[in-house]
Amino acid sequence: MKEALLLVLFLIALTSLCDTISQLFLKSTIDALEFTPKLNFKKIFKFMIKLIAKPRLWLGLVFSLVSLCIWLVVLSKVDLNFAFSADSMHYIFIALASRFVLKEKMGSNRWWGTGLIVAGIVFVSLS
Amino acid sequence: MFKKKVTFKILLLLIASDIFETAVHFFFKKSTLQASCGQVTDLASAAVLLKAVFLSPFLWAGLLMVVTVFVLWSLVLSKIDLSVAVPIASFSYILVPVVSVVFLHERISALRGLGVFFVLVGVILVSLSSKEKAGQIK
Repeated sequence: MKEALLLVLFLIALTSLCDTISQLFLKSTIDALEFTPKLNFKKIFKFMIKLIAKPRLWLGLVFSLVSLCIWLVVLSKVDLNFAFSADSMHYIFIALASRFVLKEKMGSNRWWGTGLIVAGIVFVSLS
Repeated sequence: MFKKKVTFKILLLLIASDIFETAVHFFFKKSTLQASCGQVTDLASAAVLLKAVFLSPFLWAGLLMVVTVFVLWSLVLSKIDLSVAVPIASFSYILVPVVSVVFLHERISALRGLGVFFVLVGVILVSLSSKEKAGQIK
């Protein structure tokens, strides 16, 4: 039973990692566009067309697809609220990736918040 | 280059994205419940499960929601930083447990509830730190 839980946690970590990588690709693609659309359908449509024309985005979407397949396997094994709570470890991956890849500034409050999220994940896994 | 401030419009976009995100997870869980396959122990049985899941209409409803979320999320990311957007997208931590209890009839133990609460407090703290940073930059 414990091994099964470890396997599920590993799979969730893997899907989080894939998701983080795809987020990095998406964010860097959007940054490169240098285009912030106004909120009307014409502008949004134009923005989406520009976005999906970028090959880097599709590289990110491949990681999304891998993440989705692993996620479906996870959901077949455990409850949705357990899986979704444990998936919050992707906040840590996002924080680290934002800090070291996108070079965003991280305050102490943000690290504390990340620590609380980890504590929450441990509680959820124990229950 | 980008506006760091989280405006009301961006907040609405994030909440809409979260609601659709919740729908995504709900439909995906429904699709795996409908597939009702045996235990997934290796790659072959995982492939069998995925095949059954892809035949479920719930999965395709979920994928439609994924496209909607993608458009909304791209719009958000075009306006604010990734490390600001991700923590604020924590609304689903309230929505998903509620949906799990109400629609999927799952049970939440006290410890698990406490864990979800910790995650929520952490996420709020992270979001507040983002706002401070945004204020300083401005």
